[in-house]
Amino acid sequence: MSKEKEVQKMEPVKIKKKSRAQETWRRFRKNKLAVFGMVLFAIILLVAIFADVIISYDAAITQVASERLQSPSMSHLFGTDNYGRDLFARVVHGSRNSLLVGFGAVIIGVTLGGLLGAVCGYVGGKFDAIVMRVLDSIMCIPSTMMALAIVAALGTSLMNVLIAMTISSVPRYCRIIRSSVLGVTGQTYIEAAHSCGTPDFQIILKHVLPNAIGPIIVQATMAVGSAIISAAGISFVGMGIQPPAPEWGAMLNEAKAYMTMYPYMVIFPGLAIGFTALSMNLMGDGLRDALDPKLKD
Amino acid sequence: MGKFVLKRLLALIPTILIIVFVVYFIMDLTPSSPGQLILGQMASQEAIEAKNIELGYDQPFLVRYVKYIVQLCQGDLGTSWVTGKSVLESVFARFPVTVTLAFGATLIGIVLGVLLGILAAVKQYSIFDIAGTTFAMILASFPGFWIGMMLVIVFAQELGWLPSFGTGSFAHYILPWFTTACAFIASQLRMTRTSLLESIRMDYVRTARAKGQKEGIVIFRHALRNALMPVVTNAGINFGTLLGGTVTVETVFTLNGVGTLILTSIRSKDVPVVVGAIVILAICYTLVMLVVDLLYGFIDPQIKARYVKK
Amino acid sequence: MEEKKPLLEVENLEVVYQTDEATIRAVNGISFSLNERETIGLVGETGAGKTTTALTLMRLLPERTGRVLGGKVLFRGENLLEKSANDMRHVRGAEISIIFQDPMTALNPALTVGDQVLESLQIHNTTGKSKEELNARVDELFNLVGIHAERKKEYPHQFSGGMKQRIVIAIALACAPQLLIADEPTTALDVTIQAQVLKLMENLKKELGTSMIMITHDLGVVAEICDKVAVMYAGEIVEAGTVEDIFNGKVHHPYTVGLFNAIPNLDEKTERLHPIDGLMPDPANLPVGCKFGPRCPHCTEECQQGMPYLYENNGHRILCNLLKKEVNNEELG
Repeated sequence: MSKEKEVQKMEPVKIKKKSRAQETWRRFRKNKLAVFGMVLFAIILLVAIFADVIISYDAAITQVASERLQSPSMSHLFGTDNYGRDLFARVVHGSRNSLLVGFGAVIIGVTLGGLLGAVCGYVGGKFDAIVMRVLDSIMCIPSTMMALAIVAALGTSLMNVLIAMTISSVPRYCRIIRSSVLGVTGQTYIEAAHSCGTPDFQIILKHVLPNAIGPIIVQATMAVGSAIISAAGISFVGMGIQPPAPEWGAMLNEAKAYMTMYPYMVIFPGLAIGFTALSMNLMGDGLRDALDPKLKD
Repeated sequence: MGKFVLKRLLALIPTILIIVFVVYFIMDLTPSSPGQLILGQMASQEAIEAKNIELGYDQPFLVRYVKYIVQLCQGDLGTSWVTGKSVLESVFARFPVTVTLAFGATLIGIVLGVLLGILAAVKQYSIFDIAGTTFAMILASFPGFWIGMMLVIVFAQELGWLPSFGTGSFAHYILPWFTTACAFIASQLRMTRTSLLESIRMDYVRTARAKGQKEGIVIFRHALRNALMPVVTNAGINFGTLLGGTVTVETVFTLNGVGTLILTSIRSKDVPVVVGAIVILAICYTLVMLVVDLLYGFIDPQIKARYVKK
Repeated sequence: MEEKKPLLEVENLEVVYQTDEATIRAVNGISFSLNERETIGLVGETGAGKTTTALTLMRLLPERTGRVLGGKVLFRGENLLEKSANDMRHVRGAEISIIFQDPMTALNPALTVGDQVLESLQIHNTTGKSKEELNARVDELFNLVGIHAERKKEYPHQFSGGMKQRIVIAIALACAPQLLIADEPTTALDVTIQAQVLKLMENLKKELGTSMIMITHDLGVVAEICDKVAVMYAGEIVEAGTVEDIFNGKVHHPYTVGLFNAIPNLDEKTERLHPIDGLMPDPANLPVGCKFGPRCPHCTEECQQGMPYLYENNGHRILCNLLKKEVNNEELG
């Protein structure tokens, strides 16, 4: 009996949640560019997951002196580099590093920044003021420089690039999430909930989070794109993942000396970075429009 | 107004204390030996250690931090461990290149970004809008340094129209300017478009139309003016960030800007240069943002009134 | 006297908002006319199509979504809907002006209020008046609406809501238009300020001899300043006539009756007010037949099928099948 009651109670909430997600998905699907971004991303993700099936890792790191600097052909789709390594294999396997750094940095950064931002927004007062002051100051340091300094201090590795990018981006996420939480908290419907005597935690769970999460997801999606670009930049100036490990930015660094003679060495890794970031940006844009139809009239 | 500016400048002091602390801390994560850097590879171990002690490098982090701050208060940013030159001089020697780069790129970004953004907003859903936003999306997705390399391949290598590196003339800057401007054009376009679309829907724009005002004037006098705030902010942030040097673009075009200076100093663990340069950049950034805030006053009389009151 | 040509004739006006998702039928074939120096009140709930009607007269419908499907708007005999965009610009602000609902957002926050009034004058300065003359006119307008002329150098944020609405009125009256459309000019204001602004508008109307379309959902306002009334419901005029017809007439549309029941009457002692049950139909999905049918206590099968009967008695028009019987009864009796 009581169980039945519970089920009945649960159901309407469930349906409501589902319909909101469905509504978002329906609008997202109608946006051709967003769907294109999603398909593009799905392809890149599959390439990263099945990289070993597509082409062996050995091809990406084995130096074959006899096959140096070959233009793209059937045997080497993207050509070979100055060490005779197959660029197609390097681009394919490089996707893993880029996605890992991009997603890792954003997920950890958003979680840390979000926690800090939420606490600041919740506690408010002096604590909030001081933390924000410190974060604002840190944001005056060019974030690339900070990431470079951290990588230099910790040593160049995939993990350290990830850490550096996370740390240097936490202040920004914290600010964004704090303001988006505060924005929701100030809304009339939160006041309404307060006036109904709804307990704080329930307000946060039921009203603040669902309404604040949308913009955060959108921001995070877009941030993955720029994190991938920044990570490539760090490798490009020679401070990221070190060769022979395949990484798109590092590949461009190596290609720089050869770009005028062998432009294909530059073209393919760059396209790989660009399309990955593009897929994230398109999805983020589509998601924003789908979550907030007001913006598109 | 003067009070407002003064207040903002005073707020710089804690900012600098925090920045120095953070940068110093990061640089201190791995031990550094200034003696080695100053005296070079040939120096004896004793001499190096003696030099380290002389510079206070046997003391704990916080003591050195406080000493640095005291030194900073006397206006002394120290000298480079590697070159022995004053940090201030080293940074300002690189500034002309960086400022030229940042200024040109910001100008291109504002002009192209704002114009295309206005076009996209006014003709929403037209081919201009779709082409503009798609263009912005692509520019924002591809790394600037890669676009720079492609520009070099096309315009310097294939067509031979422009030089691909160095700083000799105006022509030398064209490719770096556009390369640096890419991401900025994109963000400025999107910002202008969104902001203008929002203000075009405002009631006062309808009032202006109801007066029988010409559409062009409605857009420029009424809608755009009120849409400028985020556009100006974006331009300010961008210029401020560019002053910090774009290491990647500098690397592509082998320009000796501030970015490269900091990068090489980070690599060689030349702590005084890294900390000093970042402090100078942070001050520049804050000043640029102060100018942006003052610009608000000209755009929005409500904000101006607030400044005057303060 | 009777052959006076109407200043404005609206015939069978039909307006829709076309979005990707739906076609919203905002105005469905309305007709009314207005003589010089007359004031007509457009009354109805939010969403009845009053504002859409006003925007259509000004040709200010949202470009992408708003569409006029049919009908005519004859202003001094000329169809405004057929005018070129440029010709229409010379009508707007000069011959027809509009006062929008919310004075808080109707003024440009970045320009001084004086400049905003001056702008109207400059746009329609066909006689080549000098800057000084125009500025003198601005001062005159400020005095007219009861604001000190020195305050023209201030910005909108320095004024209260009621003051802002006065400035909006000054802008609308700047070029002495023949027709003034007031779209709920007092809704956003405090009650005491409402009365002041209404009084001001009434006086100005008398002084300047402007015709006016007063859009409101407040029957009190209508009784005070209108000569004619058109009651709108779901994009149709369900009842129209003189103020006398509407307030004291014998026969009414059930919706009008409902509107009157929903307001307190000081002369009668009633226990409670009687709001109209139900909601306005979704304009994207209007009912067949009488639009008020679903909420009407007298709805019959006939009402749900075709357009309702148009009762007409000496200019008092009502769109309702109930009155078919009335006429029959009268004829029989």
